[in-house]
Amino acid sequence: MKVSMNGIVKSFGANNVLRQVDFSVEGGEICALLGENGAGKSTLMNILGGVLQPDEGTIELDGKRVSFHSPAQSLHAGIAFIHQELNLINDLRVYENMFIGREIRTPAGFINDQEERRQTEDLFRKLDIGIDPLSKVSLLDASYKQIVEISRALMMKASILIMDEPTTSLTDPEIERVFDMLRTLKKQQVGVVFISHKLREVMEICDTYAVLRDGVLVSSGLVRDTSIPLISRDMVGHDVRTESLEQNADLGEEVLRLHNLTLEPYYRNVSLQVRAGEVLGVTGLLGDGRSEVFRTVFGDMGKYQGQILIKGSPVRIKSTRQALKMGVAYMPRNRKENAIIKDMDILDNGTIVTLPRLTRMGLIRRREQLEQFEEQRNHLQIKMGSPRDAIGSLSGGNQQKVVLAKWLMTHPRLLILDNPTQGVDVGAKEEIYDIILQLARSGVAVVVLSNEAQEIIRVCSRALVMYHGDVRAEIAGETMTEANIMRLATGG
Amino acid sequence: MSNKTIHSSSGAHGGTPASSSSGGFFRWLAQRWQENPVYSTAAVLLVMVIIQTFALGFDYPSFADWFSGWGRNWINILRNNASVGIVALGMAFVIISGGIDLAVGSTLVAVGAVMMVLINGNANGLLTAIGITGIPAFILGILAALLMGCLIGYINGFLIARSKVPAFIATLGTMKICRSVTQQFMQTVGVKVPREFTAIANTKIGGEIILPVFYWLIIAAILVVVARKTPFGRHVYAIGSNERAARLSGINVERVKALVYVLSGLLVAVAAVINVARIGSMDYANAGSGYEMDAIAAVVVGGTSMSGGRGSIVGTVLGMLIIAVMNNLLNLIGVPPFLREAFKGLIVIVAVLLQKKDKQS
Repeated sequence: MKVSMNGIVKSFGANNVLRQVDFSVEGGEICALLGENGAGKSTLMNILGGVLQPDEGTIELDGKRVSFHSPAQSLHAGIAFIHQELNLINDLRVYENMFIGREIRTPAGFINDQEERRQTEDLFRKLDIGIDPLSKVSLLDASYKQIVEISRALMMKASILIMDEPTTSLTDPEIERVFDMLRTLKKQQVGVVFISHKLREVMEICDTYAVLRDGVLVSSGLVRDTSIPLISRDMVGHDVRTESLEQNADLGEEVLRLHNLTLEPYYRNVSLQVRAGEVLGVTGLLGDGRSEVFRTVFGDMGKYQGQILIKGSPVRIKSTRQALKMGVAYMPRNRKENAIIKDMDILDNGTIVTLPRLTRMGLIRRREQLEQFEEQRNHLQIKMGSPRDAIGSLSGGNQQKVVLAKWLMTHPRLLILDNPTQGVDVGAKEEIYDIILQLARSGVAVVVLSNEAQEIIRVCSRALVMYHGDVRAEIAGETMTEANIMRLATGG
Repeated sequence: MSNKTIHSSSGAHGGTPASSSSGGFFRWLAQRWQENPVYSTAAVLLVMVIIQTFALGFDYPSFADWFSGWGRNWINILRNNASVGIVALGMAFVIISGGIDLAVGSTLVAVGAVMMVLINGNANGLLTAIGITGIPAFILGILAALLMGCLIGYINGFLIARSKVPAFIATLGTMKICRSVTQQFMQTVGVKVPREFTAIANTKIGGEIILPVFYWLIIAAILVVVARKTPFGRHVYAIGSNERAARLSGINVERVKALVYVLSGLLVAVAAVINVARIGSMDYANAGSGYEMDAIAAVVVGGTSMSGGRGSIVGTVLGMLIIAVMNNLLNLIGVPPFLREAFKGLIVIVAVLLQKKDKQS
């Protein structure tokens, strides 16, 4: 089957999200759809998936003109959209999830479990998937959930799959598992649209690519004819730097020291120190325990063994409030769940930490609140409308900057950044790196937790690699290479 | 919180700020309307007041007579709903924080009973027995009531925030305990509320008993400021919207949550004082029963989201008034009392349906 979208135009109010975009994908092809956040990828795919209707333009299936007014219609035509947040019901078994909403019934109207199980087994055998249809979805790891979701789409006879950033929450071996499945599908003439930020994955798995920038298709073609630097340039519109940034040379006194910090089952015997002006990286794969170590330092994990010393004096950190008072700031990963308060406006989100200090006789001083925020806004160059707009009106990068702003207002001694550029586009990424280095230069001790080796190399002067709760090695200078990090992070 | 932007503007770069004055007054009003559910709540109330005014009729010899009749009807409405209105204010905080407090009605009885035992004018009155009577006794009684309200609230808060018992279950439990224990203990205690005590609610101002209404409005005004202008208020909204993010912002989530229930308990105690003073007695089996549902109804009709994070105090006052005016209206047009509850149920459902429409845009 071949899908082609021709001259698609879509705007929301005055905002032209897509301008005359042509896009096509056919069976047996894995096509990467690339672009920064806000480039229009999601909108384009939502149109293909029947979630949105185009203002202009046509969609053709094998040359026949079609229009989708709902996701159900699009699915019926054989196009399945697999969203970033998986739509599985954790408390049900795998085969039950495969048929959710389309249960097979016995003549008496009850669910025909046997038949559902049999069909699931058949499909899994055909696709060479080793999942027990009887196991509960909650017991599967993220990659198998992804695979169940893909299988479900195939069970519904989908011949085109749209996958929205399928690998963001997966570890490397898990990613490989999903890729294996995609390769199998390819052989069976299924077409895949692969939306991703991770260019190396694109180079590995995709056949063709299309890059959107500001709603315009700027380039497309065969993956083997291009390269990562070329694609990233198309995405941002200028060259992207990958070399290590200049580090701060004069370090101050020790700000944080961990001595044999242990919290089973997350991590054990973690010892490290960070000095003022330094950017320490901590990296590893999913489940390495790095987030848990630093959430402990921020008082978010409860009881622990071992010692935490801040500025040389031993402390027992029991609550986030206490950590905050000691000058520790922690910008969590997964912005949406952990950092953004969606019912509050930009200003309140940006000042929620320092609010108690912005009061007179217990009442918040609005002007002070605004002034403080505006200062950070200018410093971090947050692109936004009014401070009273909803936080959701901002792009990912700018939301992240608002979260950063609320912590910078506390003038922290120790700033912990957990996946600081998650869901942030390439341009904003560079801006955040600049800010990190600037902060270090001003004497803040910065810890960057990241699963991207490139990010660690780019901003950190020194890094620890963790594996299943153990610190494997400290790397710096010569030894700080992607290959080395990968080897250590996978336990090698 | 009345100036909160609920509708994100459609463009990725955000819309124009609400304060743009170029389009004149109506444009401004339209925009505020869209941004803020309180305006639509107020509009509904206005419509109901107009209908109610017509239902009351204009069959009076003079305008002055009509006006005094209309006014008296209003004072009645407000006075009859002052206690629940005060309880609803606490409920608003609880619901905005993402919780629920089912114990308010029973807390009212327990608190009222404790106070009555203290101020009891009979010889067996606790304070009378040790020679404290009159105003000092009243002050002690009221203080004890407020303290007791806070304490029951704190127990709820502790169970919910520290022991992680779901709010619905924790307060369902205290609800049962408070009323049952009160009824058992008060079975044999004969209480006489001193006449002077009733002055707290029944002193006439301009010929009308209107003090409870003042208490309600003063407390509402204070709480509007607390909700909008204090860190505590902001923290309540933050916790209701995203508890995890609130904790990771250094907010002491347990403390704020517990305080929310303490506040609710305190306001219930105030309502208990007003009720006892108003009536001069208390029916331990029935007093305050249904308060929890009426308070929740007022909060919801006032545009507060049951899932927390969104809502307002002003809206809660308006919500209470909508329900009260509707009740009055049904009375005026002769709907039988048993059926009136059905309308109350209907208006709550309609209010939530309208909110749902709001969210989708």
